[in-house]
Amino acid sequence: MAPKKRIFPRQKICRFCADKSLVIDYKEVRTLRNFVTERGKIIPQRIYGNCARHQRKLTDAIKKARQIALMPYSGPTQL
Amino acid sequence: MRRYETIFIVRPNVGEDEIEAITSKTSSIIEGDGGTIIRINNWGLKKLAYLIKKESQGHYVYVDFAGIPASVAEIERIFRIDDRILKYLTVKLSDSCDPEAVKEQLASAEPEATSDEKEAVKEQPDSAEPEATSDEKEAVKEQPASAEPEASSDEKDTGINESDNVEEEKAD
Repeated sequence: MAPKKRIFPRQKICRFCADKSLVIDYKEVRTLRNFVTERGKIIPQRIYGNCARHQRKLTDAIKKARQIALMPYSGPTQL
Repeated sequence: MRRYETIFIVRPNVGEDEIEAITSKTSSIIEGDGGTIIRINNWGLKKLAYLIKKESQGHYVYVDFAGIPASVAEIERIFRIDDRILKYLTVKLSDSCDPEAVKEQLASAEPEATSDEKEAVKEQPDSAEPEATSDEKEAVKEQPASAEPEASSDEKDTGINESDNVEEEKAD
């Protein structure tokens, strides 16, 4: 039996904490698009390692963008 | 005074002058209640992310203003009555606002911001769609027989892929 391979997760850092110039705004769809899947689902923070505070702001922004049809509720994100 | 921003979407077949009329009507309501318009941007015709009232495109108009809650209620009432308006969204930006100070601040940062927005609008149609779709196809081709029901479903985020890799490694 092969020895169990341990996966060492990379130290993930919150992108918004690292780069202060990145703002979370529901009108800036190009930033938000990086944090949803191709089908428009919000990617959980355990994947990208966003901090809780920024993930919360991000989900709020994505949901607002969905309301005003800048982003889809479901379906292709690229227009 | 509170600071709000309103975005409303007008039907695509409505002319520029009619949009102008709607915008000026909106601003007159705000100013009638003692508010101030900070800026009005017409984002032009944009593709909607989903159909609204069977329309796939719409004119976006963005209004940034300082005003009182009653004027927001009045604007939204009028938007709901007006057939030409597909959808609207009002967001409160801050509880107290000094419109003059905000205007000055914007004026100093204005040139950059507007050019950025224009770029964003222009670049949207030819953004990375072909890439994404080809990636998807490749992924499907690579693992045609591997028994992964999740992979074929629409949720293919990195988390699932990672866990799949782990399983394969264990099997070895």
